[in-house]
Amino acid sequence: MVRNKTFNRKKILIIFTVVSLVLLLMAGRLVYLMVYCSEYYGKKAEDLHERERDIKAARGKIIDATGTVLATNRTVCTISVIHSQLEDPEKVIEVLARELGMEEAAVRKRVEKVSSIERVKSNVDKETGDKIRDYRLAGVKVDEDYKRYYPYDTLASKVLGFTGGDNQGIIGLEVIYEDCLKGTNGKILTLTDARGVEIENAGERRQEPVDGNNLHISLDYNIQLYCEQAAKKVMEAKSADSVSVIVMNPQNGEIMAMVNVPEFHLNDPFSLVTAEDVLSGNGSGTSQSPSQDESAQKEVTQEQLNQMWRNQCISDTYEPGSVFKIITTAAAFEEGVVSLNDNFFCPGYKLVEDRRIHCHKRVGHGAETFTQGIMNSCNPVFIELGMRLGTDNFYKYFQQFGLLQRTDIDLPGEAVTIMHDKKNVGPVELATVSFGQSFQITPIQLVTTVSSLINGGNRITPHFGVSVKNDQGKLVKTLRYDVKEGIVSSETSAVLRSVLEKVVAEGSGKNAKIEGYSIGGKTATSQTLPRSANKYISSFLGFAPAENPQVLALCIINNPQGIYYGGTIAAPVVQEIFTNILPYLGIERQQTPAEDSETQESNE
Amino acid sequence: MDRAQFADQRQRSIRYFDYSLLLIVCFLVCFGLVMLYSTSSYNGQVKFADSAYYLKKQLLADVLGIAVMTVIAKIDYRVWKRFWFLAYAAAFGLCTLVLFVGQELNGAKRWLKLGPLSFQPSEMAKVAIIIFLATIISRMPKQMGKFTALIKVMLLVMPMVVIVASENLSTAIIILGIAICLVFVASPKYMQFFVMGGVVIAFGAAFIMLESYRAERLKIWLEPEKYEKGYQTLQGLYAIGSGGLFGKGMGASMQKLGFVPEAQNDMIFSIICEELGLFGAVCVILLFLVLIWRFMVIANNAQDLYGALIVTGVLSHIAIQVILNIAVVTNTIPNTGISLPFISYGGTSVAFLLAEIGLVLSVSRGIRLEE
Repeated sequence: MVRNKTFNRKKILIIFTVVSLVLLLMAGRLVYLMVYCSEYYGKKAEDLHERERDIKAARGKIIDATGTVLATNRTVCTISVIHSQLEDPEKVIEVLARELGMEEAAVRKRVEKVSSIERVKSNVDKETGDKIRDYRLAGVKVDEDYKRYYPYDTLASKVLGFTGGDNQGIIGLEVIYEDCLKGTNGKILTLTDARGVEIENAGERRQEPVDGNNLHISLDYNIQLYCEQAAKKVMEAKSADSVSVIVMNPQNGEIMAMVNVPEFHLNDPFSLVTAEDVLSGNGSGTSQSPSQDESAQKEVTQEQLNQMWRNQCISDTYEPGSVFKIITTAAAFEEGVVSLNDNFFCPGYKLVEDRRIHCHKRVGHGAETFTQGIMNSCNPVFIELGMRLGTDNFYKYFQQFGLLQRTDIDLPGEAVTIMHDKKNVGPVELATVSFGQSFQITPIQLVTTVSSLINGGNRITPHFGVSVKNDQGKLVKTLRYDVKEGIVSSETSAVLRSVLEKVVAEGSGKNAKIEGYSIGGKTATSQTLPRSANKYISSFLGFAPAENPQVLALCIINNPQGIYYGGTIAAPVVQEIFTNILPYLGIERQQTPAEDSETQESNE
Repeated sequence: MDRAQFADQRQRSIRYFDYSLLLIVCFLVCFGLVMLYSTSSYNGQVKFADSAYYLKKQLLADVLGIAVMTVIAKIDYRVWKRFWFLAYAAAFGLCTLVLFVGQELNGAKRWLKLGPLSFQPSEMAKVAIIIFLATIISRMPKQMGKFTALIKVMLLVMPMVVIVASENLSTAIIILGIAICLVFVASPKYMQFFVMGGVVIAFGAAFIMLESYRAERLKIWLEPEKYEKGYQTLQGLYAIGSGGLFGKGMGASMQKLGFVPEAQNDMIFSIICEELGLFGAVCVILLFLVLIWRFMVIANNAQDLYGALIVTGVLSHIAIQVILNIAVVTNTIPNTGISLPFISYGGTSVAFLLAEIGLVLSVSRGIRLEE
């Protein structure tokens, strides 16, 4: 037998020592990995295991002045299938096809597709979703989600706007107040295995969503609804392209109604309202194109959608026509170039340079005072006023009245005033501007400027947003708007109110008269460009009570058929609206004659 | 010394049996089963709809292994001297056979199917080489100092190494390692081994340069995050890193849920790190170190050189596998498939390991404690 020698033992010891050292090295390596790199690898591993699911924050509501909710959220469900968890695909196909009302083949295609998760249908009613969940089918997932919902669908569609797929505002107030409405999405972090299957009882980390705040607006559901009905009525009666109505508080700029008919469906904003509505609302250019290929067709559709969503009160400019005479009057009185009893003579036209500019009454109004001139809406009188003012002064007042800047209304897409460049203004341009032609402004600009002139000279900012509150009703923010005081003197303002009251009481705006109320106003009829098309815009701007305006309304009828005089067709709309909303707003009937004479006296 | 005298002597001395070794091995086997269940239950559920699938198979192999160990521990280890050639020939034959009729799994032909059991001949080759070399060397202890004898022994081992290497390079490296350790212990010289070490390193380097896929492995080793094939390594590192000091707790590993592929196999140590933390991992390393220390004690006190060499063979086998496995899992060396003794899933491996322990216990029984 061979003995185990000393050198053998020594060598075994060497092997052991080497092994010990190497194992120590390994332990050192582990210390490095598990202490110094732990955070790095741990984080990476966590990223790998965690699946993030968003919990949508509920978007804030939009609530009107009466407390009526105009925009809210509805719970909808998304139905998906997880292929690897399916147990009875045939039953799943059968149940889903039946409950969702889908083609069996379409459902089969989704169910049988080998993917980690396949969406079968989204925006499913909560009831249907609950029903499907009650079947407890393995591999079928019902996820709840919020969807923006507008209870009154078409009401103030172009004002409220709608939201897109990520619940973000696309047009209207939804865009402007995005930040306060949207809230902060929460998260569910769940652990999954390598196949993406969630691990049960793993304990999910939740980051709770913060719901959006509610926006309280000045719009009044009842007034809006009434204005919309009135606008629809006149649109149908006059086969007009569109009708816009703005109702505003001239003292502070709060807008009570803004109607642009045809309105569209907020709950289905991507379908055109009706073919004929779009046709009439869109002019003739885009509609007949059956032979075009699909992409062009799509483009047309997007163009049509943009047209449908357009808020004409804000985004479209038009020639204001005779309503603008209010502004000319304000400038003339402010500059002191005219008084109420100044005498004018209208032969039916006025010669400016070598051009003969007609009055709407071709035979002429003859001799008249200024008051009578504005009651008659006599063009030569205002041309004379414009000439007395001169271009520089006129522009000075445009600037002072805020006419050339945007109103900064809290709606997106406001168009800017299109006015002649001052150095290009000759006598003819000056003359036409004086009675509201040859330039364009937005309806909201007109309403805002006139409001500011008749409220005592405070340039207000038109707006909808009043305050932001959380869902418990706690005030988060009161919205404030700029007011520029003293754009006209209170005297000029009073003169305007009195002459405009006369326009309604005895002049061209008499169709807006309501027994027991003193109403001021001005009619307008303007021809759209090109003049050869013979298209008109009829409008009427009215306010009440004349001596202390609480409400101001503008009605614009775009391309009415038949009689197109503003005094004939637009004034009755405002009259009808006022008849209903003045009592509603708590403005009481007065003893008309007494009031009338009193204001007359004070002004003369 | 004649036989009667020998028996006489044994009776006079206290019978020794290394219970501490047995205890450590039993602990390792049990710990291995627990960890195996923890790491494999997910895979078992996914693949075989039975979370205990791997556990059951391993338990069977463990029971079989312990039975074999008990029997072998009772048999005088010197008996195996007679089977040196048979062991070598049988292992060589089976390793050759597996190349032709082997069952392919994960792209490697390593298993022989015997009815319901599958069997990995390369595991047997390790035991065979230990018995073979221990016998050969103990027959010519004097010559071991000569360089020619060294070469001769290595040449005898080479056919086995080559045949195993053709399918399973890692096992071939282990066999070569065992052979070198045995020759090193048997030889009184040192210098030769430095030369041999140099040659092996040069050979290895050339080998890597020649085969492009091994060169790619090197790149993956250096920057596992940049290569798709670095996935396994990287997932192992994620598991280790997320363990921290005390781990996530038994059974709480995330990485075993399909992220570390076949977590119950070679990468099981990374899951141990994840679940038991640095503390647990170091404990496992210490456990192996104590095991190896027991081997050293037994080897140094063995009755004869043959016994000492057998224990040294087992020592080097387990030491090399532990070191290489942990080095691979921690990305200290390029990835190669080496299992963690007693803990990784693999029935043949654990059965033969337990048989080897039986040999060592048998050697320990021969130790005489003189009063």
